[in-house]
Amino acid sequence: MSRQQTTLKERPSTRAGAPAAPRARRRQFTTRRGFVILAFMLPAAVFVGVFTYYPMIAGSQMAFRNWNLTNLTDTSWIGLGNFEKILADPSFGTILGNTVLWVVASIVPQFVIGFAIALWLRRRFRFRGLYQALIFFPWAISGFLIGILFRWMFNGEFGVINDVLKKLGLIETGIPWLAEPSSAMFAVIVANVWYGVTFFAIMILAALQSVPDELYEAGALDGASKARMLFQITIPTISTTLALTVLLRIIWIFNFPDIIWAMTGGGPANQTHIITTWMINITQRGDYGMASALGLLVVAILLIFSAFYLMALRGKKEVTA
Amino acid sequence: MIKRKVLAGIGLGMTAALALSGCSGSPEAEGAVTLQMVESLTNPARTALLEELIAEFEAENADITVELVSPPTDQADQKIQQMLQAGSGVDVLEVRDLTVGPFSTNGWLDDMTEEFDGWAGWDDLTDNAKKVATATGETYFIPYGFYGISLFYRTDFVEQAGFDGPPEDWEELLEQAEAIQDPDANTFGYAFRGGKNGYTNAVLAISAYVADDIDVTNAYKLTNGDSIFSAPEAQDALEVYFSLFEKASPPSSVAWGYPEMVEGFTNGSTGFLLQDPEVIAAVQQSEAVSEEQWNTAPMLKGPSGKAIQPLATAGWGIAEASEHKEEAAKLIQFLSEGDASIAFTEGNSLIPILNGAADAEFYKTGAWESYLAMNENPDAYITAEQPRGAAWWTEWGEKADAEVQQVLIGQLTPEELLASWDAYWTEKWASE
Repeated sequence: MSRQQTTLKERPSTRAGAPAAPRARRRQFTTRRGFVILAFMLPAAVFVGVFTYYPMIAGSQMAFRNWNLTNLTDTSWIGLGNFEKILADPSFGTILGNTVLWVVASIVPQFVIGFAIALWLRRRFRFRGLYQALIFFPWAISGFLIGILFRWMFNGEFGVINDVLKKLGLIETGIPWLAEPSSAMFAVIVANVWYGVTFFAIMILAALQSVPDELYEAGALDGASKARMLFQITIPTISTTLALTVLLRIIWIFNFPDIIWAMTGGGPANQTHIITTWMINITQRGDYGMASALGLLVVAILLIFSAFYLMALRGKKEVTA
Repeated sequence: MIKRKVLAGIGLGMTAALALSGCSGSPEAEGAVTLQMVESLTNPARTALLEELIAEFEAENADITVELVSPPTDQADQKIQQMLQAGSGVDVLEVRDLTVGPFSTNGWLDDMTEEFDGWAGWDDLTDNAKKVATATGETYFIPYGFYGISLFYRTDFVEQAGFDGPPEDWEELLEQAEAIQDPDANTFGYAFRGGKNGYTNAVLAISAYVADDIDVTNAYKLTNGDSIFSAPEAQDALEVYFSLFEKASPPSSVAWGYPEMVEGFTNGSTGFLLQDPEVIAAVQQSEAVSEEQWNTAPMLKGPSGKAIQPLATAGWGIAEASEHKEEAAKLIQFLSEGDASIAFTEGNSLIPILNGAADAEFYKTGAWESYLAMNENPDAYITAEQPRGAAWWTEWGEKADAEVQQVLIGQLTPEELLASWDAYWTEKWASE
């Protein structure tokens, strides 16, 4: 019998057995009471409406207008014109491909290394608190600052990375990391991995605290190896947290232009642009219409992806249940 | 009960405070005016100097207070745009040759013709400054100075490579830079600009090669109306220009923008740098390059012995929505006259806007000599106006930068690049 079925069956009995007194105390819903509730809800509703939904709607309508800051005397409605401009841009295919590469190549090492660090930090040892603080520190740094730091580290002539590689005898002349499309993409992904590992370490460590020690003790009694305990106790117990953390991180990385913008500005020759850095580029050009259209496109892509991801997750859970 | 009284007290107090703050109005005394001024090309030293000048202005005009807003340079123009769009919070603003077009098209800038009618300072302005101030028939800003390009070079590198002096034209630059290049010693000939605004130097080379036929009122056009990119000489110019990258520049300079170029020169690793005079101050502060090791030379010429000097400029304008236009004009006039103007141009290494200011000792010594040489020889160093006010200028810059990088990484040929640039401008001009 599944856990869900048990809960459903238990509910009516609980309700039936509930004392009558609380229900009697429940005040009748009156118009006056409705107004009071409304009055309490109003500030929050107004706040969300004014600061969240109004800007979203106002911004979204720009996507269907000729909204260019260089000439605001003609902001006529142009239907899907801005979307057509995006799809017709020769860089769009490369940028979409880069975005997928940026997300996948960043998230896999971030997850694996973050998981390993979390497992390591779960053990009790001397100065564990200090190590935790040191490892979590990058998360407190601005993405742009990290980008600037890595930009100088990857500098072909004066960068510390080439210097170290030369001193180790691995290269003879400096590699122009940010000058070649493939190495530039590699460099920005390395910076992002360094930054994002911390996030996974924090989230997974928090999830690991919730795994009862009794399960490991039982596993140890049964003679399970550490690897088996990892795959049959740890991961299944925190799988929901892991899945949601990965989803959250995918959305964040997708929407995270800071490092690329600071390191390469999307270059060389637009070869490291992802959708959000391209959006900044278009905004700087003053074409808010096209940038808004791109923003809506990002929302649509992420909504569709999240829906499929959550459906797949639910499907998997049902199978395992 | 007590709680209710306390809450009522707090409520009354807050209501009274809000009501009083609403009724109190401006703290300004009768007739006193506060001007909001916002600058764009900010840096700490410049802001400090501007604040000093503002303090002098306030001392002379007791009824005017100026509040200076200095956003970070990268975001400044966007911030100014937002302030102008909001229609409040700005009286005096820094207007650049790049922003005057869109700002005035959107009706955000005051045509200052009326406020500046009869201004005594007009007579002191150089012809260039007057021309810029009244370019379109309206006066949207008064320039505070000009940014001109010159060649920064390492005197010791040039000498060690066996040359008598700095290069005079683009081919000589290639020859000398190639001789200086020694990657094993981390020494490079030329600080190539392949990153942001990298296209500007490619255009400089092309302009020098077509100098005989260039339309000085629109430096992207030939006198026959075609774009400069369509001329056969443009091809020769790019051949030399891209050879500079292949043979005499750091490989990573594909991605070099302003900071990397200046760093490349000030840390002593590159021999030549094409930059604005504002870099003079940065090189003077360098610990790796001593005063005797560097100098500047005039702009590089083309095969006909001429160079095109595209002066970039910025200045002070008034927001259309300002309620204190008269006082704002007073401030701009103060900054554009006499000692205040000279202090600002010298402090920021700018080419001055006042007649005779360039004769000062400051502009005759050291790194400034090359500017003097260019000023004294206007037939060889021709001042021409680039179409920087075009509404599509930013879009053009992005396209051109990306295509220069495409050539550098082998995705585009110089011929394809020129064809693309020619088609772009021809189409834009046709749509005007």
